[in-house]
Amino acid sequence: MNKRILVVDDEAHIQHVLSLKLRNAGYEVLTASDGEEGLHVATAASPDLVITDLQMPYMTGTDLCRAFAARQDTKDIPVIILTARGYALSDDDLANGNIKEVVSKPFSPRLLIQMVQSLLDAGEFERAKAA
Amino acid sequence: MKTLLTMALGSFLLATTVAVMATLMVSGWGSLPIDRADWTMLAVGFGASLWAVLLVCCLLTARVCEAVLSFSDRLGDPEPCTIPRAPIWMRPLMRSLAQVQQVVLQRESVWQTRLRDLEIRERIADTERARSESVLGVMREAVIVTNAFDEIVHVNAAAARLLRFDVAEAAREPMRKVISDERLCRYISEMRESPCGPRQLDHVVQNADEDPVSCVAMLSTLPGLNGNVASVVTVLHDMTREREIAQLKSEFVSKASHELRTPLSSVQAYVEMLVDGEADDEDSRQEFYGIIQSETERLSRLVDNMLNISRIEAGIVQVDRDSVDFENLIERAVQTLEPQAREKRIAIHRELAPVDLHAVGDTDMLYQVVVNLVSNAIKYTPEGGRVTISADSDHLERSVHVAVSDTGLGVPPDDLGRVFEKFYRIENYKRVAKGTGLGLSLCQQIIETLHGGEIGLESRLGLGSKFWFTVPMCLQSGRETERRAIAA
Repeated sequence: MNKRILVVDDEAHIQHVLSLKLRNAGYEVLTASDGEEGLHVATAASPDLVITDLQMPYMTGTDLCRAFAARQDTKDIPVIILTARGYALSDDDLANGNIKEVVSKPFSPRLLIQMVQSLLDAGEFERAKAA
Repeated sequence: MKTLLTMALGSFLLATTVAVMATLMVSGWGSLPIDRADWTMLAVGFGASLWAVLLVCCLLTARVCEAVLSFSDRLGDPEPCTIPRAPIWMRPLMRSLAQVQQVVLQRESVWQTRLRDLEIRERIADTERARSESVLGVMREAVIVTNAFDEIVHVNAAAARLLRFDVAEAAREPMRKVISDERLCRYISEMRESPCGPRQLDHVVQNADEDPVSCVAMLSTLPGLNGNVASVVTVLHDMTREREIAQLKSEFVSKASHELRTPLSSVQAYVEMLVDGEADDEDSRQEFYGIIQSETERLSRLVDNMLNISRIEAGIVQVDRDSVDFENLIERAVQTLEPQAREKRIAIHRELAPVDLHAVGDTDMLYQVVVNLVSNAIKYTPEGGRVTISADSDHLERSVHVAVSDTGLGVPPDDLGRVFEKFYRIENYKRVAKGTGLGLSLCQQIIETLHGGEIGLESRLGLGSKFWFTVPMCLQSGRETERRAIAA
């Protein structure tokens, strides 16, 4: 069964290009245009991984991570943060939720797919070890 | 005087005669033994002679004193001092006195020169002191000068403002009595006790019930005559404004970076997709090319706007001032934007007052302002809405007033004060339309900084917005109007 990736970004072009790339790589893709919608989709569809922008209307990427961490059904979802900020996230931001990677824009979709793959593999490995 | 001289001379002659007679009696008549009466006679004769000599000496001394007194009275006269009818025997004395007079006159001349020199120096010092005090008075930096006893020698108004004391009551007072900032007093005392060349250190001034003020304190010493420290000069530079500017710069760079990275991400991602051959068909490729083109144009607009704002803020933009006809300018803007409005079935209305709508300004820049405002109105107005451009002139204010109203989304009250900030975009409207977040900031710079006008906004959430601006009317056209009125 294909892994399910949720892409949350208010920039339609980024959302579009990431969806295409992920679909071409064999993933099932869900999309959302802001944090609130992202949380709604994540709780309804339980994605295996979330790629989210940082600065979005209604709910920011870090707020979304906090919301994931607060829920039992979403707290373990690995998150990749995409940011157009020129500086690193604070430790306080990184401590929220299950943030695995922070990727600065502009980014290479090719490298992002590799990152997604390795995170999903690591997750499976962890689950197998736990079992 | 003459009587005295005659008496003296008579006495002298009598005494001499008596003395000669006595001598003759003693010597000439030597056969006779000298008895007691002879010796008495001789003594009287010598006594009279001595008296006469003393009298003559007194008279001569009196004459000399008279000459010296007369000389001393006229010592300061530039003319050589002389005594009329001075006897021959007094001439050497007169020559000596004349020489003394010359020396005194020369010395006096030297002292006069020195005195004038000192007076000039004093005036220069007074002028310099007044100038220094003026300079210190207008300085933004707080300046405190203390002496070797830690007493205030000089403080300026900025120091009094920063450290909250009264300048008039500070002079010659102990530093610690005037300045309540103990840490600063300690720095000054340490500097006086162990001078080690100029020192610079960060210092926070904390006055009661006030926000702390971050400063840089610069301390230096002035040596006295004996080589010890005569005074300590302390300068406090308030860093609040510099830190604010640095903060603003940092925020600008951060926001600019964010806005540039977003379209750049799209371009990089789509180019990589094309390079990797992930666009299967020609339609997809054409779609990617179109997105790359639009995102590149967005980047270009961003860079243009950023540069324009920077140029205006730096004061290096060239403004071609001319008489601008707003009727014509609005018409051109409407023609440009009508296709965009038609796509959303938005009607653009013009409400131009039948008055002179000329103002002084740069036509291209003012055109850009009108296009930006009308374009925003179209972007944030739902399909089927209405955009109205009105123009009128205010003859009291002597300005042209232009307003762009729409029946769009309106601006939330919390955002009303921020829409003209650089890179500020109403978060919830980002999906409604794309923008650089610099358009309104650029309009504000063009209207207020370059044209001396005003720009503003009135809005009701959900009902629409009205952006307006004013530009001072053409002065030349005013004069022409007056001329025409006079000619008529």
